[in-house]
Amino acid sequence: MKLHVEGLSVRFRLPGAVVQAVTDARFTLDQGRCLALVGESGCGKSVMAHALLGLLPANAAVTGHAWLDDLDLITAPEQVLARQVRGRRIGLIPQSPAAHLTPVRTARAQLAETLRELGRPDTPDALARRAGLRPADLDRYPHQLSGGMAQRVANALALAGDPPLLLADEPTTGLDRPLVDATMAELRRLCDEGRSVLLITHDLRAAEQVADDIAVMYASRIVELASARAFFDGPRHPYAQGLLDALPTRAFTPIPGQPPELTRLPDGCAFQPRCPRATALCEEQPVLNEVACHHA
Amino acid sequence: MATTPRQATPDSSPRTWRRARLIETGRVARRSARRRSLALATLAILVLAVVLVPLLVRLDQQLVDLRAAGLPPSLAHPFGTDEVGRDVLLRSIYGLRVSLLVGLVAAVVSATIGGLVGLAAGAAGGPLDRLLMRVVDGVNSMPHLLLGIFIVALFAPSAIAVIVSVGVTHWTTAARIVRSEVLSLRGRPFIDAAVSGGSSRLRIVRRHFLPNLAPHLLLATVLMVPHAIWHETALSFLGLGLPAHLASLGNMINDGQRSLLAGDWWSSLFPGLLILTPTLAIHALAQHLRDRANPRRRSELAL
Amino acid sequence: MLEATAITVSYGRHQVLDGVSLTVAPGETLGLAGPSGCGKSTLARVLALLQRPSGGTLTVDGQPISRWRHRARQRTSIGLIFQQPRLAVDPRFTLLDVIAEPLRAARRPLDRAHELAEEMGLTGELFTRRPHEVSDGQLQRACVARALALEPRYLVCDEMTTMLDASTQAHLVTRIEAYRERTGAGVLAVSHDAELLDRWAGGNVRTWRHRPDVVVNGSGGRPEGTSRDVSDRRIATRPNAEG
Repeated sequence: MKLHVEGLSVRFRLPGAVVQAVTDARFTLDQGRCLALVGESGCGKSVMAHALLGLLPANAAVTGHAWLDDLDLITAPEQVLARQVRGRRIGLIPQSPAAHLTPVRTARAQLAETLRELGRPDTPDALARRAGLRPADLDRYPHQLSGGMAQRVANALALAGDPPLLLADEPTTGLDRPLVDATMAELRRLCDEGRSVLLITHDLRAAEQVADDIAVMYASRIVELASARAFFDGPRHPYAQGLLDALPTRAFTPIPGQPPELTRLPDGCAFQPRCPRATALCEEQPVLNEVACHHA
Repeated sequence: MATTPRQATPDSSPRTWRRARLIETGRVARRSARRRSLALATLAILVLAVVLVPLLVRLDQQLVDLRAAGLPPSLAHPFGTDEVGRDVLLRSIYGLRVSLLVGLVAAVVSATIGGLVGLAAGAAGGPLDRLLMRVVDGVNSMPHLLLGIFIVALFAPSAIAVIVSVGVTHWTTAARIVRSEVLSLRGRPFIDAAVSGGSSRLRIVRRHFLPNLAPHLLLATVLMVPHAIWHETALSFLGLGLPAHLASLGNMINDGQRSLLAGDWWSSLFPGLLILTPTLAIHALAQHLRDRANPRRRSELAL
Repeated sequence: MLEATAITVSYGRHQVLDGVSLTVAPGETLGLAGPSGCGKSTLARVLALLQRPSGGTLTVDGQPISRWRHRARQRTSIGLIFQQPRLAVDPRFTLLDVIAEPLRAARRPLDRAHELAEEMGLTGELFTRRPHEVSDGQLQRACVARALALEPRYLVCDEMTTMLDASTQAHLVTRIEAYRERTGAGVLAVSHDAELLDRWAGGNVRTWRHRPDVVVNGSGGRPEGTSRDVSDRRIATRPNAEG
């Protein structure tokens, strides 16, 4: 399994404006690796996830390629995505597991339904064990599950079709630290089993726990792509440095200013107005070569 | 295409479904816009007709012309004439004028009563809420038409009597809608924030409750208009509404049913169609309003 | 002093808070750490005079509180910042309206709203936007500005930054700390994030512990008081602060 994204761009046409949600994204996710796509809310990272699953609304224009082995997810017809990709080759780990489950049915019933729909021979019990649940827990309704257990049920649902690639879209929103740690450990375990994980998050500390590689997104573009160790030891892009410095465990100082609107991106480097190192050179769009900055 | 993801990947269903619905919403929005244009055009023509025609052609409500009795539709009388020789088209337009006016006023009356009752019940809560809701149940437990007949019977037949009878029996729907909206608004954090920011009860009603209720109330009013028109027609048809010689759609259908036996279909069909047309147009318009009032659709694209 | 003594809150048979005591002194930042769903939000509402507790006493600067919500005159001296900015603003308001509303209610000059917005880093073109047209971070900035509009003597921040990225979080905390230093207000920072509180409150953090067998509910977004949150929650130790 290999996911290779090549020049992926997503635009939304709105009345009187065009939202540039993703611009020219390029990265590769190899088997058994975890790539964390980090950035603040509204930088376009969730749109990227939806583009990969072919779940964008009708007013979105997508260009470029996203190769999942030899299938281009961008040009694949909806039928192929629905019958062969979603749930079977890409599993989605949801944002809020508690809200993801149907409240009126037990976890077992939901797992069984998913397995049936996907045509898998597995039993819910076997699936639950793989996701770290005791089969006895499956007879509970979602409201009887603790947060951690609900998360594991959601993971089990994502794993039902045995997909080699997992897409986790902000899986830690609203969870407290111990639960974030548990969720990240779970993702790590899935990676170690040989699956690939694309983790989308604004939580750098969560990303640090699990990621092999980090992609930093700012104003619709990936501005730095590095191994996790190199990134957390010393990020090269000024925005990435600013983000890390804002952590309460580090300098706790905010980046001055605010990100640009995705409807009105500047011609040059989008971070230039907030950047301490900006020069005349920054009027030109830097090219991403591990880092998209003229000064790094 | 929009529904397949839901069947194929139950594991990602809520999110998939949400996106799929978004694609669907685009299509629905376009269809809804088309329907709105058609409805608006129909209503505009009807309203123009009932406003302009009486200015150009006066209808003598008492005039009969037995020489022209029971003529089928022709160029001179496009809707034909009735059993005493009155032009069905002209009388239909006058009748529609009465119906639209009565329907509109009755709808506004019932929405106002309902809005106030619902607001009071929802905002006050407790015993007052329970009392008002039992009154609502009480009114609902009686057949509207019967209660309406009773109220009309207390007055002499007139438009006012019909308005009162429809208004007094139909406010309960609006009251329920407004009350449930108020209850759901009351528990929202932004109301807490307003309280914490020093807003008085009255200010919260004015700044938060009323603006957020207005679309629901407007929708309830618009949907009430056709209902009120039907009630007005029904009362007139039963001879309890407007005085029998006045042109009203109910009176005309009532008169027309006698000629039906003689094969004169036009004198009841055309007034009937004129009840149906605005009803359907207003319903289509209300549906569009409801689509628009759903703020989720507008915010879903916010990134 | 904002002083809560033995505060109890129950909904029917379910006890959400069981005798919580807590003191916030003027000029102090106190962190209150605890897992999601342990009743922190309920405590925050009680402290902001938005909810009458079933038992216990609350005093604000020595005055015991006997009236709550609209009837509580002191309610504007305690600012509350909510976890989810999207739910905490009227969807029909513009950002400037959001900030100006407390000023309007108090009949104070509205120029202050512009100053506050600019202090919070909101630029002019955002003033006329509605909540669905801005990001969570921008909306929370407006909510902080709203909470500061009437210069409250105490600020209660209920999981203020969970939804936000690191930079916005650092920015909002910096602004609140600047306000505290300027006015000598007391700040209660409630969060599940111990690292954040440690940094924010400079180590002045009380931790809300659970009995280990208690099931902790994981989705923080749910409002307090749904019966299931409450039923399996008992608070074993009580935070009590000397100030």
